[in-house]
Amino acid sequence: MGFILRRLGFYLVAFWASITLNFMLPRLMPGDPVTRMLSRSQQRLDPQQVESLQRLLGVEGGPWWQEYFAYIGRVFTGDFGVSISRFPTPVSEVIAAQLPWTLLLGAVSLFLAVIIGNLLGILAAWRRGGALDSVVPPLLVFIGSFPYFWLAMGSLYVFGVALGISPLRHAFSVGLTPSWDLTFISDVAAHLILPALSIVLVSIGGWMLGMRNTMISTNAEDYILMAEAKGLRPRRIMFNYAARNALLPSVTNIGMSLGFIVGGALLTEVVFAYPGVGYQLLAAVQGLDYPLMQGLFLTITAAVLLANFLVDLVYVRLDPRVRVG
Amino acid sequence: MISTSIRRALFRAGAVTAIGALALTGCTATPDDGAAESGPMLTVPREDMGTFSQNFNPFSPNAAPMTTQSVYESLLIYNPAGGDTVPWLAESWEAADDGLSQTFHLREGVKWSDGADFVAADIVTTFELQRELLGGFDYLDTVKAIDEKTVQFTFNRKFSPALFEVGQQVIVPDHIWSEFEDPGNEENPTPVGTGPYTEVSNFQTQSFDLLPNPNYWQPEKQKIPGVRMLAFAGNDGANLAAVNGDVDWAPQYMPDIQSTFVDKDPENRAYWFPPTGAEINWQLNTTLDMFADPDVRKALSMAIDREQIVKVGMSDYTIPADCTGLSGNYDEWRDADVVADCDWTGYDADAAAELLDDAGFTAGADGQRTTPDGEPFAFDISVGSTSSDWLSVANIIAQNLQDIGVKATVDSPDWAAVVAGYETGEFETGIVWSANAPTPYQYYRNIMSTESVKDVGEQTFDNYHRLGDERADELLADFAATSDEAEQADIMSELQRIYSELAPVVPLFPGPEWGAYTTDNFVGWPTEEDPYATLATRAPTTVLVLTSLEPAE
Repeated sequence: MGFILRRLGFYLVAFWASITLNFMLPRLMPGDPVTRMLSRSQQRLDPQQVESLQRLLGVEGGPWWQEYFAYIGRVFTGDFGVSISRFPTPVSEVIAAQLPWTLLLGAVSLFLAVIIGNLLGILAAWRRGGALDSVVPPLLVFIGSFPYFWLAMGSLYVFGVALGISPLRHAFSVGLTPSWDLTFISDVAAHLILPALSIVLVSIGGWMLGMRNTMISTNAEDYILMAEAKGLRPRRIMFNYAARNALLPSVTNIGMSLGFIVGGALLTEVVFAYPGVGYQLLAAVQGLDYPLMQGLFLTITAAVLLANFLVDLVYVRLDPRVRVG
Repeated sequence: MISTSIRRALFRAGAVTAIGALALTGCTATPDDGAAESGPMLTVPREDMGTFSQNFNPFSPNAAPMTTQSVYESLLIYNPAGGDTVPWLAESWEAADDGLSQTFHLREGVKWSDGADFVAADIVTTFELQRELLGGFDYLDTVKAIDEKTVQFTFNRKFSPALFEVGQQVIVPDHIWSEFEDPGNEENPTPVGTGPYTEVSNFQTQSFDLLPNPNYWQPEKQKIPGVRMLAFAGNDGANLAAVNGDVDWAPQYMPDIQSTFVDKDPENRAYWFPPTGAEINWQLNTTLDMFADPDVRKALSMAIDREQIVKVGMSDYTIPADCTGLSGNYDEWRDADVVADCDWTGYDADAAAELLDDAGFTAGADGQRTTPDGEPFAFDISVGSTSSDWLSVANIIAQNLQDIGVKATVDSPDWAAVVAGYETGEFETGIVWSANAPTPYQYYRNIMSTESVKDVGEQTFDNYHRLGDERADELLADFAATSDEAEQADIMSELQRIYSELAPVVPLFPGPEWGAYTTDNFVGWPTEEDPYATLATRAPTTVLVLTSLEPAE
């Protein structure tokens, strides 16, 4: 229990630090949102309107410390203010509309990458030096060294433009209304394949190598030898004895990745015009939309912290050694 | 043995996934294109909005696209491509003899999309809201409904450009907007307008449809089933959609448009980039000693090769500027004599060098020029890092200047930083766009009036180069005071002469108004031969296109 409480305290401090950083960072950037809007509109916005816009958007500001305490107060009431680039929509509403798509894309690709990557890792380590072990890891590492967006653009070109078999953009076809029927769900799935695939391909190598290496050291343990000596079936030894014990580092990694799902695969989302959080974050940065940026950063930070906390909890169950520490 | 069964299981899993994927992709092969019997929607991309909010408030800077084009309309429409003015919600108008008021006669039979009559009170309410929420119109004294169909604007000073400013303000219905408690923050999700396509349908964050207004005042012009907007976070996605034939109208910048877009289907695809956008200027900060002398500014202007700038930097999409500094928007006002008499926008490196020698900016042994104070004649050209076309323009300028011994360095941080420097006057030179209004009044006011000059350090949103001329002030005041067209033309010629004499900024080229289209689904687009509008989707003229298009056979 003490362990959990200590961790909780740590996470609270981290959360406070991230709120403070969130508050500070956008304010250190040059320019202000209204002038930015003016320059983006190429003078289609009347210069005389600028002052009233500043009033309207509340960016005239008071002393920074007043803004700071007001900000902390609002964060704890879930009020992130009004988005500037999508004025007058509240930030929380913008994020709520984007978050499900990012979670879907992130969760599906993480799930696939973890399952496939770990399975490949287990098999590669089990048949060390075999075809799977000698060919696949270098190949995956090679693919993994591509930037996300490069692979995304390549697959978009090949499957979307040249072959014309996959959708080019967005999370579902134009003209469809979200509902839980088969047409819509399959449409969403079809739009998910390429973006998810490009993320899976890039990240799978890491999972495979990680699992393979832990498996190899686990395989050298005495209890594996013991299990083999007892004449247990190899499959049982592989999964129930070796893989199970080699899984701990992967759990940590899953926890970390879970948190980062919320941040979204920014560039992948941009390439596929996928309406997720990453995509919105880019728009927020381009529009110098402080409230939206802060809301997004905070959501991402909170997700990372929460995921780590959950992993801590799981770890306490999985690994008795941490309970003492 | 066992490992083979695992391999098989793995393969089976893989196969199932692959089949599933194919089946799912198959499902999208027949996307829903709107109601089959009414034909496809007019599909238009919006390249700078990754997602839409259902906000149809015309007073909001982030209103959904088409809010002020298709949903709400204005009293008149000025068409920069043809130079003509189209009466719209107003049938006619006249200025009072003293120039202190302007009266509009509203069109009979116009109804709001909810069936209510369009009346003078709507205009009164609109201007109240506009001034309260966004300011502006400081020359406006009162807006008064004379009767149901007549509205009079009175001014606190003579200001003839008001006709177009007032006339192009989109009008909202009084019976709806006077009920809103907080009109500035109102999202107005189901707008009531007088425009051709007002009915919002199937609103998603990445697309929405506007269906025909059931009570439109010119029903014979609603020939298309509706307008469908698609959201894109940048040009790339929107260009891909255009190249792929997924949109009917592409108003965004496309590099090498002939081969990437038109050549894919030359029968149906075309583009038209009239030079009617804002004038693009190279502004020299005249508060710095080195740029205070008009001869130096003219010399720098002569040293740069506009032909090359337009060809290489702007992919030949526009034309070089002349020394009236006016974009194609103002062809009606251009004084041919001023253009003929002047030489400082033509490329002549030798003359430029001579002019700099005379001004005391002589070259040393290494060929580099120094200012009369003995400092090296060197400066930065600021331009935002995201504008790749303007970046190459700046680079060409820097190369050209190198030839006459002037050292210019291209400085390209983020646009926000660049503009912040322009606004406070803490920059050396930079590439700047100009105001674009129906008359050149606003353009010359921003560039030459002493009223618009602020001290360095004080923020300003126009006249970044900080130069004013008292003769220009007088002429501008005279221009605003008369609505006699011949007199206005004379004054404008005089202003052009002063501009040509002063060279307050170095004009580069008029910004092209991007626009491309396909006739696959719709015909009746504006073209160079029939310039009834530009191909812009965010201009006041957009509604003219929407009411001219008809489905292709």
